[in-house]
Amino acid sequence: MGMMGRTLAAAALAAAVIAGVAAAPAAAQGGGTLAKVKQRGMVACGINMSLAGFAFPLGNGRWSGMNIDYCRALAAAVFDDPDKVSFVPVSIADMLDKLKAGDFDVLVRNVTWTSSREVESAVSFGPVNFFDGQGFMVKNARRALSARNLTNVPVCVTGGSTTELNLKDYFRVNALQARFVVLPDWEQTTSAYASGKCDAITTDVSGLHALRATFDAPDEHTILPQVISKEPLAPVVRQGDDQWLQIIRWTHYAMVTAEDLGISRATLDEQMKSANPEVRRILGLEGKQGEILGLTNEWARRIIRHVGNYGDSFERNLGRASPLRFNRGLNALWSQGGLQYAPPFR
Amino acid sequence: MTRFALHPLAPRILAGAALAAAVLAGPAVAQQTRMPTLELVKQRGQVICGANVGLPGFSVPDQQGNWTGMDVDYCRAIAAAIFNDPSKARFIPTSSVNRFTSLQSGEIDILPRNVTWTSSRDSSLGFNFAPINYYDGQGFMVRKSAGAKSAKDLSGATICVNQGSTSELNLADYFRTNNMQLKVVSFPSGEESVKAYEGGRCDSFTTDMSGLYAERLKMANVADHVILPEIISKEPLAPAVRHGDDQWYDIVKWVHFAMITAEEFGVTKANVDEQLKSTNPDVRRLLGVEGKHGEALGLGNDWGYRIIKHIGNYGESFHRNVGAGSRLQITRGVNELWTKGGLQYAPPIR
Repeated sequence: MGMMGRTLAAAALAAAVIAGVAAAPAAAQGGGTLAKVKQRGMVACGINMSLAGFAFPLGNGRWSGMNIDYCRALAAAVFDDPDKVSFVPVSIADMLDKLKAGDFDVLVRNVTWTSSREVESAVSFGPVNFFDGQGFMVKNARRALSARNLTNVPVCVTGGSTTELNLKDYFRVNALQARFVVLPDWEQTTSAYASGKCDAITTDVSGLHALRATFDAPDEHTILPQVISKEPLAPVVRQGDDQWLQIIRWTHYAMVTAEDLGISRATLDEQMKSANPEVRRILGLEGKQGEILGLTNEWARRIIRHVGNYGDSFERNLGRASPLRFNRGLNALWSQGGLQYAPPFR
Repeated sequence: MTRFALHPLAPRILAGAALAAAVLAGPAVAQQTRMPTLELVKQRGQVICGANVGLPGFSVPDQQGNWTGMDVDYCRAIAAAIFNDPSKARFIPTSSVNRFTSLQSGEIDILPRNVTWTSSRDSSLGFNFAPINYYDGQGFMVRKSAGAKSAKDLSGATICVNQGSTSELNLADYFRTNNMQLKVVSFPSGEESVKAYEGGRCDSFTTDMSGLYAERLKMANVADHVILPEIISKEPLAPAVRHGDDQWYDIVKWVHFAMITAEEFGVTKANVDEQLKSTNPDVRRLLGVEGKHGEALGLGNDWGYRIIKHIGNYGESFHRNVGAGSRLQITRGVNELWTKGGLQYAPPIR
């Protein structure tokens, strides 16, 4: 792997040269994440404080959710053991600083991929693992059927987030009278909504579904049909470590491709006998892609065995097999009307 | 394998050879002390793009040496973003054999050349692939008189295909998966396969969609041939840049995303000046009326405005080069915006 070592050194060097103001500490941290992970024996993931379906604490340090599955898939790929993960809950306010300081190896916490985050913060985004968009939930008593009816309705929102910017934009464009109640974090935002400080609350549609499922009387709340923004949620890593970015990227693509090819936890043993070249490549029966990534050639097989494919994870955490009951919607495979698409294993 | 090298419609066949060359050369060779690409480009006064030697609709020079095509537009859009002048783009023809080494050695700044983004290329060449600017995939052409409406109607049909190509493998997989009977006639080159189809040796010819549309143009009677709607493989075409220069990678990514965003918000070459007065925050940020999104990229804040002013949005480039406004007549299909049933989606500029 001498070649890879040189590449990484070059990457770090180039990153250091172009870093400019924002990225100097990142460059110092960049490079060699995989080596650090292996040395530590754990993947460290920055995750949500608590968001049902994505990252939800089960007690005793156990977590469940789509984001958790993604971290466990990384651990499966590297260690053949999905439990070799440490979860670090972080707030929006300091998530990027903590990533750049090296507190964890990847940030998987429903972060929206935006131009300013990617460019000004000098971080790199992996593939979109959930296509989300901002919406509104209102108390039925308010009788609002559309987001256009929210003029003068107190709306709870977490400050400093893209959610707050979108909210302001939407009210400005639609000439609505704003009564925003701005809270420092999501927990306080939801309690303010629950305690009646506001009659509406805004965040990504996924978060609204998650929140509603925690209420004693979920039927008293309506999620309005309007989606007012593009919220492509994607994992985030430090710049300057192309090898780690590739592992992040292809872990997601392996899960999507497995679904595309009909490889699930249940069919894995059967598929090991497949003659389909792409199936054989993703399962590591042909080719040396794993080695080139710095892993073993059966890395993707491990992901499927321990965690399952993208659809498995979606259904278990968010879909029909969960209390949240999300539709696949934009997150269906591209061949089924959605946007989830992976470049080929070839 | 080299016998396929001259066929421009099967760029991926040589992956293995190029890959081997890359490993021998060592992808890191060129990267050690190179100046950041943007700085180099600014000093030189030009962006240098690796181009296909001739793929109509994507990248092709005319007799005066003027290049046109979607990939050419991408390159000119980068020049427009940096220099406010789309002519400050130079095109270096590359072959399937030397295109990757050309990028590794620094001869070109970016390779927008209908290269399929695959796992092995992503992990072994020392490149990052930018957003997919054209979702291609294998399809089928048939004679209209045969009456087939779907690839599923092709059971028992004789299919012409390039020997040893990925297309041949995909073809076998598709027929097997759908329990269809397959009769393959394979030829060593794309040209021979097409000729055999046109001569009536086969009921259908298969290669990537973009290639089918290009080949159809060459038929004696274009209207006698139809292209079936199914895509049976993934051939995501995307530009590549070298590892280790995240600023340049960001520029390449966001130039494409700006063109998608412009289409999404109705900003066109014709109305871009009018749109400077828009109150829509997304439009204002795209055009640099608000925010400092260009500066962060190392560009002027009007970078998005410049792209649209000189090149137009993604839909305009598609229409002009490969779509309804071109001879190719390719339908938008999977390259339609996500809001209209396609896969083209851009993260927000904000």
